Amino acid sequence: MANNRRHFVIASVLIVIFTVLVYWLLDGVLLKPEAAVVQAAPIDNLFDQHIWLIAFLFALVVVFMCYALIVFRARGDEGDGEHMHGNTTLEIAWTVIPCVFVIYFAVISTTMLFDITRPHPDEYVVNAEGRQWSWLFTYPESGAITQELVLPVDTPIRIDLTSDDVLHNFWVPEFRVKQDSVPGKTTYVRFTPNKVGEYVLRCAELCGLNHSGMLAAVRVVSRDEFDLWNSEQIAQIQE
Amino acid sequence: MSLFSLGIARGLVGQTLGMLVGMLLTVVTRVLLGWEAWAAEPAWTVGAVCSIIGFLLGVGALDDWLQWTKGIDTPLHHGPPADKPAWTRYFSVDYNHKVIGVQYTVWGILLLMVGGTVAMIFRTELAQAGLQFLGLGLYNSFIGMHGMIMIFAILLGVGGMANYLVPLLIGAEDMAFPRLNALGFWFNVPGSLLLLLSLFIGGWDAGWTAYPPLSARGPIGYQLFFLGVFAIGLSSIVGSLNLLVTLLCMRPQGMSLFRMPIFCWAVFATSLIQLTATQLIGVSFLMVSVQRAIGMGFFDPRGILGEISPLVGGGDPVLFQHLFWFYSHPAVYIFVLPGLGIISELLPVFSRKPLFGYKWIALSSMAIAIVGFLVWGHHMFVSGYNDILRVPFMYSTLLVAIPTGVKFFSWLGTMWGGKIHFDTPMLFVLGAISVFLIGGLSGPILATVPTDFPLHDSYFVVGHFHATMFGGFVFPFFAALYFWFPKVTGRMYNETLGKIHFFIMTPAFWVQTLGQMGVGVMGMRRRIADYDPSLGNYQIESWHLAVTIAGFAIAFGVLLMLWNFFQNAEVGVAAGDNPWRSRSPEWQIPSPVPEHSFAAPLRVVGEPYDYGLADSGYVSTATPGDD
Ligand code: HEM
Ligand SMILES: [Cu+2]
Ligand SMILES: [Cu+2]
Repeated sequence: MANNRRHFVIASVLIVIFTVLVYWLLDGVLLKPEAAVVQAAPIDNLFDQHIWLIAFLFALVVVFMCYALIVFRARGDEGDGEHMHGNTTLEIAWTVIPCVFVIYFAVISTTMLFDITRPHPDEYVVNAEGRQWSWLFTYPESGAITQELVLPVDTPIRIDLTSDDVLHNFWVPEFRVKQDSVPGKTTYVRFTPNKVGEYVLRCAELCGLNHSGMLAAVRVVSRDEFDLWNSEQIAQIQE
Repeated sequence: MSLFSLGIARGLVGQTLGMLVGMLLTVVTRVLLGWEAWAAEPAWTVGAVCSIIGFLLGVGALDDWLQWTKGIDTPLHHGPPADKPAWTRYFSVDYNHKVIGVQYTVWGILLLMVGGTVAMIFRTELAQAGLQFLGLGLYNSFIGMHGMIMIFAILLGVGGMANYLVPLLIGAEDMAFPRLNALGFWFNVPGSLLLLLSLFIGGWDAGWTAYPPLSARGPIGYQLFFLGVFAIGLSSIVGSLNLLVTLLCMRPQGMSLFRMPIFCWAVFATSLIQLTATQLIGVSFLMVSVQRAIGMGFFDPRGILGEISPLVGGGDPVLFQHLFWFYSHPAVYIFVLPGLGIISELLPVFSRKPLFGYKWIALSSMAIAIVGFLVWGHHMFVSGYNDILRVPFMYSTLLVAIPTGVKFFSWLGTMWGGKIHFDTPMLFVLGAISVFLIGGLSGPILATVPTDFPLHDSYFVVGHFHATMFGGFVFPFFAALYFWFPKVTGRMYNETLGKIHFFIMTPAFWVQTLGQMGVGVMGMRRRIADYDPSLGNYQIESWHLAVTIAGFAIAFGVLLMLWNFFQNAEVGVAAGDNPWRSRSPEWQIPSPVPEHSFAAPLRVVGEPYDYGLADSGYVSTATPGDD
């Protein structure tokens, strides 16, 4: 028993070290794209909390496993291990403690989900139609129809998604959020761009031959530039 | 001995004839209706249905039943063929579960190699950005083909382990329904052949999930794919029914449910899922098939198929996803529960210690099976279903983590304080634990909706499910192959080659799965033939190269294993009856197992995993009079 206590102390130290190492490794490999919408901050934060938990649980299991493999390896003898069938207290503990994590993640994810998908009273609406294999954007306000998505910065946006052929999916990796467009109904996705720049919309639902090439340019511009662009579009329509 | 004394040769002829008969039937019907005689899609569809029946008739899987309808009795045991070499029984209908188990396993490994080859082709394409040698269409066909072939391979591997082992583990003479067992296996052959054939008549380009409307419009290959899956599904259903009845009714006296070898619990849980969920994928694919064939608009909202038939519209593409995932999520547990059972089965043998928390492990399999039915919506968080549904599916999915955790901790408990041996099967068990851990841990981040937004349909998901399937099926399956190889053949494999295989494959897999997850987070979508090299600050290409190299290393490891088995099956060192000093019933009888496995009914005299308890045994194979 005293022996076991010593083992647990050593293993715990190793777990702490290993957790940090695994987090560092994952942080280096799982490179998130730049964040260009307000919603990205909470999503990335939840992502990092997951990575910490993954690092910890990975370390927990792997350290105990490797420790057992070294300390309890058969040293050439043909004997058997300890005759022990289990431990109900332990089993209950490792059923109940994970429940705490589950509840924690369930609660913060739910509030975050409602937060990032909440409708905004003065959101700016653009229709996006996916078609094999391009995108078409309609601005209901001006009636403009474009192949490039131009959006004003710092304005809550709602994209109404439609499709007339097969499923497509609206995804700009820098915007994090994603939504299928479905023939026969209108689906929508909300985000608030907060960084001026040029991005690429990538269809993220297999839609046939040229699915990989189903891209569209996305430009997030300042409010003034957007108004200018908007009036140009209106002028063009009136011609 | 002529070629046609082999059932499989007759089956192939039957399948070809069936195909022709079906096509002819279509042509004649159309002519009688006054339509144009030849239409490719109906002809191939009806041909494919008839080809399955043709194969079964040709191979002889229905022979005994047909005899009975004529009032002719057939023997209960056919035994080895009297007038032919013994090996021929593996190529014909045979009712012995050990033969059927080997047939499943070998056919599964063959499909694993076909599917693996397809993967290596498109992995080579992905090693660099830009399109090198695969066209877009072929790429799309290949990824779907790889996915579905691998699923077939896994189902066959699961069937192989279950059919070979379950009767031996519970000391039963055979399965409850030997003829149904053979039929269950032989469905797989025409089914997988149809799937492969589909590549040559246009392929299909919607991935293994085959979402309509895309799958309702593409090439004819879809019809053969749907019918191939249908045949495999029938196999799953009759096979699982058979296993359930065997487990419930054929245990010997004294083997209560909680005294079964733990693998039996895994098979029990798996079979429950198979028996009750498989219908849903059959139905969902059948509905798309019917939508294509006659224009019933199940999944077609507003008459996209207008030109083809007046019966259109009024359907919903999202409905398909509900039906499909109601099977296909539980299906992932069909793939992994038996493998997790293998881990639990082998750990005590190589740790020389009782299984820690037997009841908890057994019940966690059941819990996973049940909760698994309530989580299908986590594949649909952005499908356009009602937003509020995201919440319950998020909660139910997170719950799966709890019984899964119980398994991991109980495995650690089993090793702790043991005397651990590192033979090749044990190495693969340890590899399985490490890899399934990666797969399981990458699950919750997909389950919480805000983090699933960026990850859904990205390469991260590809990394996640490869880790779960390798950890939950491939590694345990290989462990099982190494572990029971001496029991099946009576010979030992080469231990050094086995270890080399392990030490190549395991690190390679870690690189592969981590790389796949990495490129997904960088922003790469799944199922694309070409990717943007600027993702992840231009690091994405080196990761893809690493993943491709890792893939080839894994393939090399697998070939090494097969060569090892091939070399030693006939001429290897004699293994003896019980090289692993296991307490399990199958190791108390000779290797290879005789035609009638147990000379006398098995008696249960103790607990299955009492390693370390002196003078105890699990079963006695002697007749009561002997002692
Ligand atoms: C802790 C346990 C697990 C959780 C919480 C979990 C969660 C998820 C979620 C939420 C998705 C959907 C991701 C998306 O498309 O956005 C997913 C996909 C998937 N998971 Fe898991 N998973 C777990 C374990 C497993 C296991 C054991 C398997 C078994 C092989 C598995 C196989 C798959 C497959 C095949 C897919 C992708 C299907 C596809 O779209 O092609 N998962 N998982
Ligand atoms: Cu697409
Ligand atoms: Cu799932």
